[in-house]
Amino acid sequence: MQQSLTPAILSELRRIVGERGLITAPNQLQTYECDGLTAFRIPPSAVLLPETTEQVQSILRLCHRERIPFVARGAGTGLSGGALPAEGSVVIALSRMNRILNIDLPNQQVTVQPGVINANVTAAVAPQGYFYAPDPSSQTVCSIGGNIAENAGGAHCLKYGFTVTHVLEMTVVLPNGDIVILGGKTPDTSGYDLAGVFIGSEGTLGVATEMTLRIMRRPETIQVILAAFDAISSAAQSVSDVIASGQLPAAMEIMDRLSIEAAEISVHPSYPVCEALLLIELDGPEAEVNLQMASVIEICKRNGAWETRLAIDESARFLVWKGRKAAFAAAGRLSPNYIVQDGVIPRTSLPMVLEKLNAMAAEERLRVTNVFHAGDGNLHPIILYNRENPGEEERAIDLSLRILDVCVEAGGSITGEHGVGREKQCSMSYMFSDPDLETMQRVRRAFDTLNLANPDKLFPTPRLCGERTRGAYAPHPLESSGIAEIF
Amino acid sequence: MASSSTISIHEVADHLAGIVGLDHVRVEDNVVTVSPEDTQQISAVLAFAGKNRLTICPLGGSTKLHWGGRVVPDIYISLARLNRVVEHPWQDLTCTVQAGCTWSKLQQSLVAHGQFVALDPLFQSRATVGGILSTNDSGVLRQRYGSLRDLVIGMTLVLPDGTIARTGGKVVKNVAGYDLSKLLTGSLGTLAIITEANFRLHSLPRHERSFTVLAQRASPLESLLAAIRASHLLVQSLQLRSLGTQFSLDVKLNAHPESHQEDLLMEMVQQDGLLLEDAPEEIWSARETLFSSGSTILRISTLPTQLCAYADYLQTRHSEVEITSVSQAIGLHSIALRGSPEEIASVIQKLRADVEYPAVTVAVLNPGSGVDVPAFHISPATLSLMKAVKDQFDPDNILSPGKYFAGKQ
Repeated sequence: MQQSLTPAILSELRRIVGERGLITAPNQLQTYECDGLTAFRIPPSAVLLPETTEQVQSILRLCHRERIPFVARGAGTGLSGGALPAEGSVVIALSRMNRILNIDLPNQQVTVQPGVINANVTAAVAPQGYFYAPDPSSQTVCSIGGNIAENAGGAHCLKYGFTVTHVLEMTVVLPNGDIVILGGKTPDTSGYDLAGVFIGSEGTLGVATEMTLRIMRRPETIQVILAAFDAISSAAQSVSDVIASGQLPAAMEIMDRLSIEAAEISVHPSYPVCEALLLIELDGPEAEVNLQMASVIEICKRNGAWETRLAIDESARFLVWKGRKAAFAAAGRLSPNYIVQDGVIPRTSLPMVLEKLNAMAAEERLRVTNVFHAGDGNLHPIILYNRENPGEEERAIDLSLRILDVCVEAGGSITGEHGVGREKQCSMSYMFSDPDLETMQRVRRAFDTLNLANPDKLFPTPRLCGERTRGAYAPHPLESSGIAEIF
Repeated sequence: MASSSTISIHEVADHLAGIVGLDHVRVEDNVVTVSPEDTQQISAVLAFAGKNRLTICPLGGSTKLHWGGRVVPDIYISLARLNRVVEHPWQDLTCTVQAGCTWSKLQQSLVAHGQFVALDPLFQSRATVGGILSTNDSGVLRQRYGSLRDLVIGMTLVLPDGTIARTGGKVVKNVAGYDLSKLLTGSLGTLAIITEANFRLHSLPRHERSFTVLAQRASPLESLLAAIRASHLLVQSLQLRSLGTQFSLDVKLNAHPESHQEDLLMEMVQQDGLLLEDAPEEIWSARETLFSSGSTILRISTLPTQLCAYADYLQTRHSEVEITSVSQAIGLHSIALRGSPEEIASVIQKLRADVEYPAVTVAVLNPGSGVDVPAFHISPATLSLMKAVKDQFDPDNILSPGKYFAGKQ
């Protein structure tokens, strides 16, 4: 039931963003009806392409006055449906706000607009020997604005932290159209850390239109070791031993046999054929890294690694990372359809959780392949299925959500970097109690009294989740009667 | 009673004794201090206070109680009995600790596995986890490890209406829901009472070595500071101290001796015609010495590159008061002022309206006796959003009234 905008509102929007900045043609709106989570699609009423903070402000004032929900959108690469339009909403696409505004190398800061592509920040400062640390797998296409909404991580956040660690200051347009500066270019600005709560709020608190990012000095050397094991548990033990030895690698990744095979078919990284591949990246001053690497290799061998490959120069490292970075896309070579999950567990519970997960997959007769950010316990199980087989998609979705339950039971989280969005909002009530969620809602109401900013996301709602409790699932009356659907 | 509540102080004490036990309620100077034993009791105390519009301040080690303005509430809730390190799954590099635990006790427990929370706040033997979080304190380790917002991964909170809520979790990587731990960090006890916190841990650094470089003024150290920033040295801490008639740039390296980083540092220092000297560990407690001095204490933020120029500027521009500074290289200055209250207040006003340094922020952490200036200088737009958050968490303004927002009249 798409709610359309009145001609008067449309012409007002056109006055704000110009003819070029307003999309209303149904075939063009299709582009914006979903993000990377393509199973959910809702066409927006209109798409707006503002070019300035003031235009965003005018749009939000109008939305506020007319009670029109809005969804901000970056590159649309999100995996949890965060940029999925709400019923009757306008989409504010920030792709035209893609300028790098200022580079301040001495203070290690770069000021950009939200539509700037993540990798372009590093590209702009790489010649001078700097980089922007957050590196989600989609970094060549995803935008900084989207990274802020999701508090994006990446393989290297083990050492360098998440987006929230690297955003110093933001200009934010609040849902009522007010403009505030959150954070600051200087440390510890007075008052509440509103920037800290805004980052990762999945577009539910306002629209960031300008941001100053911290850039870092590129390490003197980077070395990656690839170690082959006969069992995941041996790779996991190596990770624990590295941590126990007091070292903090830049990244630690594990791939299982199926994902190694998929990567081989897809991008030919020539990985050793084994049950578990552990990839550890160390960076820093050369002499220091050499010493650490020797100890890491020793640890891997002690845990039964039967092959270790050290990659130091850039092309060798590229090859080692290529297979890992292609892991999600490579799943398409194994199966026509797949779901990528994003649970987090305490690192030490990895072997136990994997065992449970494999048993659950076997019971459902579905294949699950695993890649992990092993250093920080972030699992990316990939559930393979074929939509053509009746009932298989439902079973795959159900399995993927039950895997999240297992992560929560192990003391972890339902999402490490993809966000809750639409996909996992019903799982939020498994991780958090009602008072926890109600406390978060207080923040939301403070920023957005009318609930216009990306509504129906992140929080479980009775409409979408019913009185959903885990265990025996009871469908909501609205769902049984076909008024609402549950995903 | 400080507030307009009609209930008598003895009725309050009696009721609270029913919650926490007679031994854990104290009345002094018309203020009730209660020491609950767990989160549930704190919830019950808050619910009672909320219903009766009694004002509350959480109490840790009382080392920074005056930060953001001194408040005399109807009830102090002491966290002294919530003093346990709850768990330390060392292989996961995380820990859970109750808010009343002192920083020293926490660190002493973590050291068993060679780990620590990578933060060096003030007065560690008395300051508590909850108080440090509420004031967002940090020391020289910040250069390398970041501030509390980068280290705290979850919390248990009690809201003024008694609601108990958890936020975040026990894993380092987690983006489920709003990160209220960040909102609470630095909120000065105005939104909720923190009863428990989860931290990510780091391994204790090895091979530390401290050096110092002296100069007559700060500016001659500026190019060295820039060179260190742009270098590949593993710098753990970096601070600039004023020492009466000269300045000292202190560097702590954290590198394996075989990597010969000292030699690199030595070369950089010599290039600037300066002298590198070994330094004792005590230089890193300069900030604490400053805060113990009883002076007016300011926290001023500048850009990192303004560090030296600003330190010099303070000394020359405002000679009417005696100024001592300890500045972290990231641009965070702790400043002690000595002089008459009028002169100090006037200097603070000038610093806040300084056209030469318009972007600095000046917070008055300890006003000192007789100095009457607002603690913070926050833009109206930000303050109005903060107020909206405050109204959602504490609509009757019973939690730490007077901090950030005016108290009830």
